[in-house]
Amino acid sequence: MATIIDVTEDKALEVKDFEFTYAGNEKPSVNKLTMPIAKNSITALIGPSGCGKTTLLRCFNRIHDLYPNNKYSGEILFKGRNILQPKEDLIHLRTQIGMIFQKPTAFPMSIFDNVAYGLRLQGMKNKTELQDRVEKALKDAAIWREVHERLKADANGLSGGQQQRLCIARAIAVEPEVLLFDEPTSALDPISTSGIEELVVELKERVSIIIVTHNMQQAARVSDYTGFMYLGDMIELGRTEDIFVTPSEKLTEEYITGKFG
Amino acid sequence: MTHTSKRILMNKIIMTLSTLSAIIGMGFLFWILGVLVINGVDALSWNIFSQEGAPPGYENSGLKHALIGQLFLIGIATLVGVPLGILAGTYLSEYGQKSALAETIRDISDIMMSAPSIVIGAFVYAIIVAPMGHFSGWAGSIALTIIMLPIILRTTDDMLNLVPSTLREAAFALGAPKYKVIIQVVYRGAKAGILTGVLLGVARVAGETAPLLFTSFNDNFLNTNMNEPMASLTVTMYNYATSPYEDWQKLGWAAAFILSMFILALNVLGRLFLLKKKGK
Repeated sequence: MATIIDVTEDKALEVKDFEFTYAGNEKPSVNKLTMPIAKNSITALIGPSGCGKTTLLRCFNRIHDLYPNNKYSGEILFKGRNILQPKEDLIHLRTQIGMIFQKPTAFPMSIFDNVAYGLRLQGMKNKTELQDRVEKALKDAAIWREVHERLKADANGLSGGQQQRLCIARAIAVEPEVLLFDEPTSALDPISTSGIEELVVELKERVSIIIVTHNMQQAARVSDYTGFMYLGDMIELGRTEDIFVTPSEKLTEEYITGKFG
Repeated sequence: MTHTSKRILMNKIIMTLSTLSAIIGMGFLFWILGVLVINGVDALSWNIFSQEGAPPGYENSGLKHALIGQLFLIGIATLVGVPLGILAGTYLSEYGQKSALAETIRDISDIMMSAPSIVIGAFVYAIIVAPMGHFSGWAGSIALTIIMLPIILRTTDDMLNLVPSTLREAAFALGAPKYKVIIQVVYRGAKAGILTGVLLGVARVAGETAPLLFTSFNDNFLNTNMNEPMASLTVTMYNYATSPYEDWQKLGWAAAFILSMFILALNVLGRLFLLKKKGK
């Protein structure tokens, strides 16, 4: 049995009877899942490797569609519509639901062009407007002070932590409503990690955040809600303090106390 | 003999043998280059660049016709082969991926890369020179394009494959359509590698003689009409070097030297681009 609580806040996303199956597989990697994602909150997805947490995260912006024959069923409701419908405009969806990856993905271009990338895609050509938006995004991502003197420099010259913050700046520059973080600090050192964590907490005032993490302390530190997944099932979703202090499911308790995983 | 000393001895034998082999290989290379430089530099003069071919015995003879013919032949082949090769490589890496069609194209181009170039020459002779009734620069350029195509196509395919898929995903995740992901992100990531492939492809066809013998043939005078037979450094070299006249043989050395330096420069340039990419 699973214990899924309802959220008190408005819902940014609502998952209903959702299943996802990879191309060529019989068995779904995410099973019959129903859960809410609270608005302007941070929802952490935890669970052992292969439990389906990253797979689930990648459904919210339908990045799975880049590879043929993956199958969705059920519903993911976003702003009143089911984003799994075939006629969903994925380009538009991905401007509203952004994603930060495990490894920093700075494009092979200048720092400025990286942040301006999404804005230019949306047709923004006005130079001063672009400059303002890039500056704002870099400030919001707490990296402006480190890079403002070398915006024309190659983004690949930045450190891993700086690149990750650059990617966050790039994602928030287009002002999405939801941000998906896929283990954003697993390739970073502890100092960069805490910088990213602070940033994620600050961002929730403006966006709803889902973060996949292998690090339970990280989930406990930053998130408002935590979902524990195991073998493709959402075992328990609750307020983070409840999950870590008084979990309802035995499996959750065993996982967070380190009995397996 | 103990186990250790046996091992040390064996190590020395293998090391000596492989070092010796390397020295022999390098020895021949430098021998060839040495002879080429000595004879080539000796044959160089301003006339080489300013004068056309002339009958043996004339003082004012040069390679202007062959140099310009060579530039035309390679230039046209590059103009056609490079975009075609890059686009086809893009199809393989970004659209066809592991599909049956893409894999078949990969196999065929691998075979074409090792096909003897004289076969390509004979093919172009059969489909273009024979129906037209005469040799032409166009036929030569087409033969060179066919040889260049699989090289550029496969390097482009390989280089695009080296671009991490997370980079593509990141661009898609910002709402980029596929063609923009390819042009703005993937090409940029593979720029140095693709350029190297292009340079190596051009360098490869620049040294071809056999396919030109069947197609562009030769012309002892300057000709810029692609519909007519056209001189090239390689065929000129072949003709002059096998002639009994000493001044023609000298011109042959000059042609060999100029061509080798051109190809060497392209190769060095290609490697520099790769080094620069790795250094990042």
